Amino acid sequence: MTNTSCIPSWAPRWVTGIRGSRLLLLTSLLLVGVACRAPEGGGPLRGTPLGVLTPKPDILLTTTDGAAFDFPRATAGYVTLLFFGYTHCPDICPVHMANLAAVLHKLPSTVAGRVKVIMVTVDPERDTPERLRAWLDNFDRDFIGLTGSVADITAMQQAVRLPPAVKEGEGDTYLVGHAAYVLAFTTDDQPPVAYPSGTRQSDWAHDLPQLARRMERAR
Amino acid sequence: MSWWCSARGTPWDWSWQPYPGVWLCVLLLVAGYAASVRHAKRSGAPEDAHPWSFAAGVIAFWLAADWPVGPLGTGYLASVHTVQYIVFSMLVPPLLLYGLPTALFRSLAGNPWFAPLVQLLTRPLMAFVIFNTVLVATHLPAVVDGLKVTQVGAFAVDMAWLGAGLLFWWQVLGRVAELDPLPIPGRIVFVLLNVFIPTVPAAFLTFADYPIYAVYELAPRMSHLSAAEDQQLAGLIMKIVGGFTLFGTASVLFFRWYAKEEGEIF
Repeated sequence: MTNTSCIPSWAPRWVTGIRGSRLLLLTSLLLVGVACRAPEGGGPLRGTPLGVLTPKPDILLTTTDGAAFDFPRATAGYVTLLFFGYTHCPDICPVHMANLAAVLHKLPSTVAGRVKVIMVTVDPERDTPERLRAWLDNFDRDFIGLTGSVADITAMQQAVRLPPAVKEGEGDTYLVGHAAYVLAFTTDDQPPVAYPSGTRQSDWAHDLPQLARRMERAR
Repeated sequence: MSWWCSARGTPWDWSWQPYPGVWLCVLLLVAGYAASVRHAKRSGAPEDAHPWSFAAGVIAFWLAADWPVGPLGTGYLASVHTVQYIVFSMLVPPLLLYGLPTALFRSLAGNPWFAPLVQLLTRPLMAFVIFNTVLVATHLPAVVDGLKVTQVGAFAVDMAWLGAGLLFWWQVLGRVAELDPLPIPGRIVFVLLNVFIPTVPAAFLTFADYPIYAVYELAPRMSHLSAAEDQQLAGLIMKIVGGFTLFGTASVLFFRWYAKEEGEIF
Protein backbone atom coordinates (compact mmCIF):
# COMPACT_ATOMS: atom_id res chain seq x y z
CA MET A 1 0.00 0.00 0.00
CA THR A 2 1.32 3.48 -0.88
CA ASN A 3 1.63 6.03 1.89
CA THR A 4 0.62 9.35 0.32
CA SER A 5 0.71 11.43 3.50
CA CYS A 6 3.71 13.23 4.94
CA ILE A 7 3.46 11.06 8.04
CA PRO A 8 5.90 8.13 7.88
CA SER A 9 4.45 4.66 7.66
CA TRP A 10 6.30 3.62 10.79
CA ALA A 11 4.49 6.20 12.89
CA PRO A 12 2.30 4.73 15.64
CA ARG A 13 -1.24 3.97 14.66
CA TRP A 14 -2.65 6.86 16.71
CA VAL A 15 -0.60 9.44 14.82
CA THR A 16 -1.58 8.49 11.30
CA GLY A 17 -4.96 10.23 11.32
CA ILE A 18 -3.61 13.55 12.52
CA ARG A 19 -4.11 15.86 9.53
CA GLY A 20 -7.88 15.71 9.08
CA SER A 21 -8.47 15.38 12.79
CA ARG A 22 -6.41 18.45 13.67
CA LEU A 23 -8.14 20.49 11.00
CA LEU A 24 -11.55 19.47 12.35
CA LEU A 25 -10.56 20.44 15.87
CA LEU A 26 -9.12 23.82 14.91
CA THR A 27 -12.18 24.60 12.82
CA SER A 28 -14.44 23.84 15.76
CA LEU A 29 -12.46 26.12 18.07
CA LEU A 30 -12.56 28.89 15.49
CA LEU A 31 -16.33 28.50 15.17
CA VAL A 32 -16.74 28.86 18.94
CA GLY A 33 -14.73 32.05 18.87
CA VAL A 34 -16.80 33.49 16.06
CA ALA A 35 -20.12 32.43 17.52
CA CYS A 36 -19.39 33.76 21.00
CA ARG A 37 -18.05 37.17 20.01
CA ALA A 38 -19.17 40.14 22.06
CA PRO A 39 -21.94 42.36 20.64
CA GLU A 40 -20.57 45.24 18.62
CA GLY A 41 -21.88 48.77 18.76
CA GLY A 42 -21.77 49.36 15.00
CA GLY A 43 -24.14 48.29 12.26
CA PRO A 44 -27.83 48.92 11.86
CA LEU A 45 -30.22 48.78 14.79
CA ARG A 46 -31.42 45.30 15.68
CA GLY A 47 -34.83 46.64 16.63
CA THR A 48 -37.28 47.57 13.90
CA PRO A 49 -38.12 51.27 13.45
CA LEU A 50 -41.87 51.70 13.04
CA GLY A 51 -42.78 52.90 9.59
CA VAL A 52 -44.60 55.98 10.83
CA LEU A 53 -43.70 58.80 13.14
CA THR A 54 -45.48 58.12 16.44
CA PRO A 55 -45.22 60.78 19.11
CA LYS A 56 -44.89 59.90 22.76
CA PRO A 57 -48.36 59.28 24.22
CA ASP A 58 -49.81 62.30 25.96
CA ILE A 59 -52.17 60.55 28.37
CA LEU A 60 -51.97 61.10 32.08
CA LEU A 61 -51.32 57.93 34.09
CA THR A 62 -50.25 57.43 37.71
CA THR A 63 -46.91 56.22 39.06
CA THR A 64 -46.62 53.59 41.78
CA ASP A 65 -46.17 56.48 44.23
CA GLY A 66 -49.57 57.82 43.25
CA ALA A 67 -48.19 60.84 41.41
CA ALA A 68 -49.48 61.95 38.03
CA PHE A 69 -47.04 61.12 35.24
CA ASP A 70 -46.83 63.56 32.35
CA PHE A 71 -45.26 61.16 29.88
CA PRO A 72 -43.80 63.54 27.26
CA ARG A 73 -42.40 65.94 29.84
CA ALA A 74 -41.09 63.32 32.28
CA THR A 75 -39.24 61.45 29.56
CA ALA A 76 -37.92 64.40 27.57
CA GLY A 77 -34.22 63.99 26.80
CA TYR A 78 -34.18 60.26 27.59
CA VAL A 79 -34.26 57.13 25.51
CA THR A 80 -37.65 55.93 26.71
CA LEU A 81 -38.45 52.22 26.64
CA LEU A 82 -42.20 51.75 26.90
CA PHE A 83 -43.70 48.35 27.59
CA PHE A 84 -47.24 47.23 28.34
CA GLY A 85 -47.31 44.18 30.60
CA TYR A 86 -48.52 42.79 33.90
CA THR A 87 -47.01 41.26 36.98
CA HIS A 88 -48.83 37.91 36.74
CA CYS A 89 -47.38 37.39 33.25
CA PRO A 90 -45.74 33.97 33.22
CA ASP A 91 -43.28 34.46 30.39
CA ILE A 92 -42.71 37.55 28.23
CA CYS A 93 -42.90 40.40 30.77
CA PRO A 94 -40.38 39.07 33.31
CA VAL A 95 -37.97 38.07 30.54
CA HIS A 96 -38.13 41.52 28.92
CA MET A 97 -37.65 43.28 32.27
CA ALA A 98 -34.86 40.95 33.41
CA ASN A 99 -32.96 41.35 30.13
CA LEU A 100 -33.30 45.14 30.17
CA ALA A 101 -32.17 45.34 33.79
CA ALA A 102 -29.19 43.05 33.17
CA VAL A 103 -28.00 45.15 30.24
CA LEU A 104 -28.55 48.52 31.92
CA HIS A 105 -26.52 47.32 34.91
CA LYS A 106 -23.62 46.52 32.58
CA LEU A 107 -23.67 49.50 30.26
CA PRO A 108 -21.63 52.57 31.19
CA SER A 109 -23.57 55.17 33.17
CA THR A 110 -23.24 57.58 30.25
CA VAL A 111 -25.62 55.28 28.37
CA ALA A 112 -27.65 53.68 31.16
CA GLY A 113 -28.24 57.11 32.74
CA ARG A 114 -29.88 58.28 29.54
CA VAL A 115 -32.46 55.46 29.48
CA LYS A 116 -35.85 55.34 31.21
CA VAL A 117 -37.79 52.08 31.36
CA ILE A 118 -41.53 52.46 31.77
CA MET A 119 -43.95 49.60 32.24
CA VAL A 120 -47.64 50.33 32.00
CA THR A 121 -49.74 47.63 33.56
CA VAL A 122 -52.44 46.12 31.38
CA ASP A 123 -53.95 44.47 34.44
CA PRO A 124 -54.78 47.39 36.74
CA GLU A 125 -57.32 45.22 38.56
CA ARG A 126 -54.68 42.96 40.12
CA ASP A 127 -51.59 45.17 39.72
CA THR A 128 -51.99 47.49 42.65
CA PRO A 129 -49.36 50.23 42.81
CA GLU A 130 -47.65 48.37 45.69
CA ARG A 131 -47.58 45.09 43.81
CA LEU A 132 -46.34 46.73 40.62
CA ARG A 133 -43.59 48.55 42.54
CA ALA A 134 -42.47 45.39 44.35
CA TRP A 135 -42.42 43.42 41.10
CA LEU A 136 -40.39 46.05 39.24
CA ASP A 137 -37.98 46.34 42.18
CA ASN A 138 -37.04 42.71 41.52
CA PHE A 139 -35.41 43.97 38.35
CA ASP A 140 -34.43 47.60 38.91
CA ARG A 141 -35.59 50.20 41.41
CA ASP A 142 -35.37 52.88 38.72
CA PHE A 143 -37.92 51.20 36.45
CA ILE A 144 -41.09 53.28 36.37
CA GLY A 145 -44.45 51.57 36.82
CA LEU A 146 -47.62 53.27 35.60
CA THR A 147 -51.25 52.44 36.16
CA GLY A 148 -54.59 54.04 35.49
CA SER A 149 -58.10 53.31 34.35
CA VAL A 150 -58.66 50.60 31.75
CA ALA A 151 -59.88 53.30 29.37
CA ASP A 152 -56.73 55.40 29.76
CA ILE A 153 -54.43 52.39 29.41
CA THR A 154 -56.30 51.28 26.29
CA ALA A 155 -56.08 54.79 24.87
CA MET A 156 -52.34 54.83 25.56
CA GLN A 157 -51.80 51.54 23.69
CA GLN A 158 -53.80 52.85 20.75
CA ALA A 159 -51.83 56.10 20.79
CA VAL A 160 -48.62 54.16 20.16
CA ARG A 161 -50.32 51.95 17.55
CA LEU A 162 -50.40 48.78 19.66
CA PRO A 163 -53.49 46.57 19.91
CA PRO A 164 -55.24 46.90 23.27
CA ALA A 165 -54.65 44.11 25.79
CA VAL A 166 -57.35 41.47 26.17
CA LYS A 167 -58.31 39.57 29.33
CA GLU A 168 -58.18 35.81 28.74
CA GLY A 169 -59.97 33.52 31.18
CA GLU A 170 -61.99 34.01 34.33
CA GLY A 171 -61.47 33.91 38.07
CA ASP A 172 -58.31 35.01 39.85
CA THR A 173 -55.86 33.23 37.56
CA TYR A 174 -56.75 34.82 34.25
CA LEU A 175 -54.08 35.79 31.74
CA VAL A 176 -53.89 38.99 29.71
CA GLY A 177 -53.05 38.90 26.03
CA HIS A 178 -50.95 41.93 25.20
CA ALA A 179 -48.49 43.24 22.65
CA ALA A 180 -45.04 41.86 23.43
CA TYR A 181 -43.14 44.84 22.02
CA VAL A 182 -40.94 47.25 23.89
CA LEU A 183 -41.09 50.59 22.08
CA ALA A 184 -37.98 52.76 22.21
CA PHE A 185 -38.68 56.46 21.83
CA THR A 186 -35.82 58.81 21.13
CA THR A 187 -36.28 62.21 19.55
CA ASP A 188 -39.55 63.60 18.30
CA ASP A 189 -38.54 63.47 14.66
CA GLN A 190 -37.69 59.74 14.69
CA PRO A 191 -40.24 56.91 14.67
CA PRO A 192 -40.00 54.63 17.72
CA VAL A 193 -38.05 51.39 17.43
CA ALA A 194 -39.89 48.16 18.24
CA TYR A 195 -38.27 45.26 20.11
CA PRO A 196 -40.37 42.09 20.06
CA SER A 197 -40.44 39.18 22.46
CA GLY A 198 -37.20 37.31 21.87
CA THR A 199 -35.03 40.43 21.95
CA ARG A 200 -31.78 39.38 23.57
CA GLN A 201 -29.47 41.15 25.97
CA SER A 202 -26.84 41.35 23.24
CA ASP A 203 -29.41 43.17 21.05
CA TRP A 204 -30.09 45.73 23.77
CA ALA A 205 -26.36 46.13 24.42
CA HIS A 206 -25.92 46.79 20.73
CA ASP A 207 -28.80 49.22 20.26
CA LEU A 208 -29.04 51.25 23.48
CA PRO A 209 -25.70 53.06 22.99
CA GLN A 210 -26.78 53.95 19.44
CA LEU A 211 -30.13 55.23 20.64
CA ALA A 212 -28.42 57.24 23.39
CA ARG A 213 -26.05 58.75 20.82
CA ARG A 214 -29.07 59.70 18.72
CA MET A 215 -30.43 61.59 21.74
CA GLU A 216 -27.08 63.32 22.25
CA ARG A 217 -26.94 64.45 18.64
CA ALA A 218 -30.44 65.87 18.87
CA ARG A 219 -29.53 68.06 21.86
CA MET B 1 -47.01 14.16 24.90
CA SER B 2 -43.34 14.43 23.90
CA TRP B 3 -41.16 11.35 23.41
CA TRP B 4 -37.95 13.28 24.21
CA CYS B 5 -37.33 16.54 26.08
CA SER B 6 -37.05 19.71 24.02
CA ALA B 7 -37.14 23.44 24.77
CA ARG B 8 -40.73 24.67 24.53
CA GLY B 9 -40.52 28.20 25.94
CA THR B 10 -43.52 27.64 28.20
CA PRO B 11 -43.41 28.56 31.89
CA TRP B 12 -41.93 25.80 34.03
CA ASP B 13 -44.11 23.91 36.46
CA TRP B 14 -43.36 20.90 38.58
CA SER B 15 -46.06 18.68 37.09
CA TRP B 16 -44.62 15.38 35.95
CA GLN B 17 -44.27 14.76 32.21
CA PRO B 18 -43.74 11.35 30.58
CA TYR B 19 -40.94 10.91 28.04
CA PRO B 20 -41.43 7.46 26.46
CA GLY B 21 -38.31 7.82 24.29
CA VAL B 22 -36.16 7.84 27.42
CA TRP B 23 -37.87 4.71 28.74
CA LEU B 24 -37.38 3.01 25.36
CA CYS B 25 -33.65 3.80 25.47
CA VAL B 26 -33.41 2.40 29.00
CA LEU B 27 -35.22 -0.76 27.91
CA LEU B 28 -32.93 -1.13 24.89
CA LEU B 29 -29.85 -0.78 27.09
CA VAL B 30 -31.12 -3.40 29.55
CA ALA B 31 -32.18 -5.77 26.75
CA GLY B 32 -28.84 -5.31 25.00
CA TYR B 33 -27.00 -6.06 28.21
CA ALA B 34 -29.02 -9.22 28.86
CA ALA B 35 -28.41 -10.40 25.29
CA SER B 36 -24.67 -9.75 25.47
CA VAL B 37 -24.32 -11.60 28.79
CA ARG B 38 -26.33 -14.54 27.41
CA HIS B 39 -24.19 -14.59 24.27
CA ALA B 40 -20.99 -14.49 26.36
CA LYS B 41 -22.17 -17.42 28.50
CA ARG B 42 -23.18 -19.45 25.47
CA SER B 43 -19.82 -18.92 23.81
CA GLY B 44 -17.95 -20.00 26.96
CA ALA B 45 -16.22 -16.61 27.32
CA PRO B 46 -14.92 -15.63 30.77
CA GLU B 47 -17.58 -14.07 32.98
CA ASP B 48 -16.21 -10.54 33.27
CA ALA B 49 -19.41 -8.48 33.13
CA HIS B 50 -20.10 -6.12 36.03
CA PRO B 51 -23.88 -5.89 36.35
CA TRP B 52 -23.83 -3.28 39.13
CA SER B 53 -21.68 -0.98 37.03
CA PHE B 54 -23.98 -1.35 34.05
CA ALA B 55 -27.06 -0.82 36.23
CA ALA B 56 -25.52 2.34 37.70
CA GLY B 57 -24.83 3.60 34.18
CA VAL B 58 -28.40 2.94 33.06
CA ILE B 59 -29.83 4.63 36.15
CA ALA B 60 -27.58 7.68 35.65
CA PHE B 61 -28.68 7.87 32.00
CA TRP B 62 -32.33 7.62 32.99
CA LEU B 63 -32.09 10.29 35.68
CA ALA B 64 -30.24 12.72 33.39
CA ALA B 65 -32.58 12.23 30.43
CA ASP B 66 -36.00 11.96 32.08
CA TRP B 67 -38.17 14.48 33.93
CA PRO B 68 -37.27 16.78 35.66
CA VAL B 69 -33.55 16.96 34.79
CA GLY B 70 -34.12 16.37 31.07
CA PRO B 71 -36.56 19.22 30.38
CA LEU B 72 -34.76 21.57 32.79
CA GLY B 73 -31.46 21.05 31.01
CA THR B 74 -32.97 21.18 27.56
CA GLY B 75 -35.04 24.30 27.87
CA TYR B 76 -34.56 26.24 31.08
CA LEU B 77 -31.14 26.18 32.75
CA ALA B 78 -27.73 26.13 31.10
CA SER B 79 -26.26 24.87 34.38
CA VAL B 80 -28.44 21.76 34.26
CA HIS B 81 -27.54 21.35 30.57
CA THR B 82 -23.88 21.19 31.65
CA VAL B 83 -24.67 18.66 34.36
CA GLN B 84 -26.36 16.56 31.68
CA TYR B 85 -23.29 16.88 29.48
CA ILE B 86 -21.03 15.64 32.27
CA VAL B 87 -23.34 12.75 33.13
CA PHE B 88 -23.80 11.67 29.48
CA SER B 89 -20.16 11.96 28.50
CA MET B 90 -18.19 11.32 31.69
CA LEU B 91 -20.31 9.19 34.01
CA VAL B 92 -22.59 6.95 31.98
CA PRO B 93 -20.05 5.74 29.35
CA PRO B 94 -17.41 4.32 31.72
CA LEU B 95 -20.09 2.63 33.82
CA LEU B 96 -21.67 1.02 30.75
CA LEU B 97 -18.34 -0.01 29.22
CA TYR B 98 -17.09 -1.49 32.48
CA GLY B 99 -20.36 -3.32 32.98
CA LEU B 100 -20.51 -5.09 29.62
CA PRO B 101 -18.82 -8.46 29.03
CA THR B 102 -15.63 -8.17 26.99
CA ALA B 103 -16.91 -10.97 24.76
CA LEU B 104 -19.25 -8.41 23.22
CA PHE B 105 -16.35 -6.18 22.18
CA ARG B 106 -14.37 -9.16 20.90
CA SER B 107 -17.26 -10.32 18.76
CA LEU B 108 -17.74 -6.79 17.37
CA ALA B 109 -14.04 -6.51 16.56
CA GLY B 110 -14.13 -9.96 14.91
CA ASN B 111 -17.27 -9.25 12.88
CA PRO B 112 -16.30 -8.50 9.25
CA TRP B 113 -19.02 -5.84 9.03
CA PHE B 114 -18.08 -3.95 12.19
CA ALA B 115 -14.32 -4.58 12.36
CA PRO B 116 -13.23 -1.67 10.09
CA LEU B 117 -15.44 0.75 11.99
CA VAL B 118 -14.19 -0.54 15.35
CA GLN B 119 -10.59 -0.25 14.11
CA LEU B 120 -11.19 3.34 13.03
CA LEU B 121 -13.14 4.59 16.03
CA THR B 122 -10.92 3.00 18.65
CA ARG B 123 -7.84 4.92 17.54
CA PRO B 124 -6.87 7.25 20.40
CA LEU B 125 -6.49 10.28 18.17
CA MET B 126 -9.86 9.62 16.55
CA ALA B 127 -11.45 9.31 20.00
CA PHE B 128 -9.73 12.51 21.13
CA VAL B 129 -10.90 14.45 18.09
CA ILE B 130 -14.47 13.14 18.12
CA PHE B 131 -14.87 13.69 21.88
CA ASN B 132 -13.62 17.26 21.72
CA THR B 133 -15.34 18.13 18.45
CA VAL B 134 -18.65 16.96 19.89
CA LEU B 135 -17.95 18.92 23.06
CA VAL B 136 -17.20 22.13 21.16
CA ALA B 137 -19.85 21.71 18.45
CA THR B 138 -22.67 20.93 20.88
CA HIS B 139 -21.86 24.07 22.85
CA LEU B 140 -21.92 26.42 19.87
CA PRO B 141 -24.79 28.88 20.37
CA ALA B 142 -26.23 28.23 16.90
CA VAL B 143 -26.20 24.47 17.51
CA VAL B 144 -27.71 24.68 21.00
CA ASP B 145 -30.39 27.18 19.95
CA GLY B 146 -31.12 25.26 16.74
CA LEU B 147 -31.23 21.72 18.09
CA LYS B 148 -32.61 22.02 21.61
CA VAL B 149 -35.95 23.30 20.35
CA THR B 150 -36.83 20.06 18.59
CA GLN B 151 -37.13 16.59 20.07
CA VAL B 152 -35.00 15.07 17.32
CA GLY B 153 -32.33 17.74 17.76
CA ALA B 154 -32.22 17.40 21.54
CA PHE B 155 -32.08 13.61 21.19
CA ALA B 156 -29.22 13.93 18.68
CA VAL B 157 -27.23 16.11 21.09
CA ASP B 158 -27.73 13.65 23.97
CA MET B 159 -26.72 10.70 21.81
CA ALA B 160 -23.69 12.57 20.44
CA TRP B 161 -22.53 13.17 24.03
CA LEU B 162 -23.07 9.53 24.92
CA GLY B 163 -21.40 8.20 21.76
CA ALA B 164 -18.39 10.49 22.07
CA GLY B 165 -18.12 9.56 25.73
CA LEU B 166 -18.08 5.85 24.89
CA LEU B 167 -15.20 6.37 22.45
CA PHE B 168 -13.30 8.47 24.97
CA TRP B 169 -13.70 6.09 27.90
CA TRP B 170 -12.92 3.10 25.73
CA GLN B 171 -9.35 4.42 25.60
CA VAL B 172 -9.22 4.97 29.33
CA LEU B 173 -10.60 1.58 30.36
CA GLY B 174 -8.72 -0.44 27.72
CA ARG B 175 -10.59 -3.60 28.63
CA VAL B 176 -9.73 -5.79 25.63
CA ALA B 177 -6.04 -6.63 25.21
CA GLU B 178 -6.54 -7.86 21.63
CA LEU B 179 -7.73 -4.41 20.57
CA ASP B 180 -4.34 -2.90 21.28
CA PRO B 181 -5.21 -0.58 24.21
CA LEU B 182 -2.94 2.30 25.11
CA PRO B 183 -0.37 1.53 27.81
CA ILE B 184 -1.30 3.13 31.14
CA PRO B 185 1.11 6.09 30.77
CA GLY B 186 -0.44 6.73 27.36
CA ARG B 187 -3.91 6.70 28.93
CA ILE B 188 -2.78 9.23 31.53
CA VAL B 189 -1.50 11.54 28.80
CA PHE B 190 -4.70 10.96 26.80
CA VAL B 191 -6.91 11.95 29.75
CA LEU B 192 -4.82 14.99 30.65
CA LEU B 193 -4.86 16.25 27.07
CA ASN B 194 -8.63 16.31 27.28
CA VAL B 195 -8.58 18.61 30.29
CA PHE B 196 -7.70 21.63 28.21
CA ILE B 197 -10.26 21.81 25.42
CA PRO B 198 -13.33 21.93 27.71
CA THR B 199 -11.74 25.10 29.08
CA VAL B 200 -12.71 26.88 25.84
CA PRO B 201 -16.52 26.58 26.14
CA ALA B 202 -16.25 26.80 29.94
CA ALA B 203 -14.44 30.14 29.61
CA PHE B 204 -17.00 31.47 27.15
CA LEU B 205 -19.82 30.45 29.49
CA THR B 206 -18.17 31.93 32.56
CA PHE B 207 -16.79 35.16 31.17
CA ALA B 208 -19.19 36.16 28.37
CA ASP B 209 -20.66 39.63 28.86
CA TYR B 210 -24.15 38.46 27.99
CA PRO B 211 -25.96 35.11 27.79
CA ILE B 212 -24.78 33.25 24.71
CA TYR B 213 -27.69 30.81 24.34
CA ALA B 214 -31.06 32.29 23.35
CA VAL B 215 -32.85 29.15 24.48
CA TYR B 216 -31.83 29.68 28.14
CA GLU B 217 -31.83 33.48 28.07
CA LEU B 218 -35.37 33.77 26.74
CA ALA B 219 -36.87 30.86 28.69
CA PRO B 220 -39.27 31.88 31.44
CA ARG B 221 -37.19 31.95 34.63
CA MET B 222 -37.81 28.98 36.90
CA SER B 223 -35.28 29.85 39.60
CA HIS B 224 -33.81 32.91 41.27
CA LEU B 225 -30.76 32.65 39.05
CA SER B 226 -30.60 35.24 36.28
CA ALA B 227 -29.69 34.02 32.81
CA ALA B 228 -26.14 35.34 33.26
CA GLU B 229 -25.68 33.73 36.68
CA ASP B 230 -27.01 30.45 35.36
CA GLN B 231 -24.56 30.59 32.47
CA GLN B 232 -21.63 31.38 34.79
CA LEU B 233 -22.61 28.43 36.96
CA ALA B 234 -22.68 26.26 33.84
CA GLY B 235 -19.13 27.32 32.97
CA LEU B 236 -17.90 26.60 36.49
CA ILE B 237 -19.56 23.18 36.53
CA MET B 238 -17.97 22.29 33.22
CA LYS B 239 -14.53 23.43 34.32
CA ILE B 240 -14.52 22.29 37.94
CA VAL B 241 -16.58 19.09 37.88
CA GLY B 242 -15.35 18.08 34.42
CA GLY B 243 -11.78 18.95 35.36
CA PHE B 244 -11.92 17.03 38.64
CA THR B 245 -13.37 14.01 36.87
CA LEU B 246 -10.54 13.94 34.37
CA PHE B 247 -7.78 14.73 36.88
CA GLY B 248 -9.24 12.12 39.24
CA THR B 249 -9.21 9.55 36.46
CA ALA B 250 -5.61 10.41 35.59
CA SER B 251 -4.68 10.05 39.27
CA VAL B 252 -6.32 6.64 39.55
CA LEU B 253 -4.50 5.52 36.41
CA PHE B 254 -1.23 6.83 37.76
CA PHE B 255 -1.54 4.95 41.04
CA ARG B 256 -2.56 1.78 39.22
CA TRP B 257 0.48 2.14 37.01
CA TYR B 258 2.69 2.88 40.01
CA ALA B 259 1.38 -0.17 41.90
CA LYS B 260 1.90 -2.35 38.84
CA GLU B 261 5.47 -1.13 38.39
CA GLU B 262 6.19 -1.61 42.08
CA GLY B 263 4.80 -5.12 41.89
CA GLU B 264 7.04 -5.96 38.98
CA ILE B 265 10.15 -4.56 40.68
CA PHE B 266 9.63 -6.23 44.05
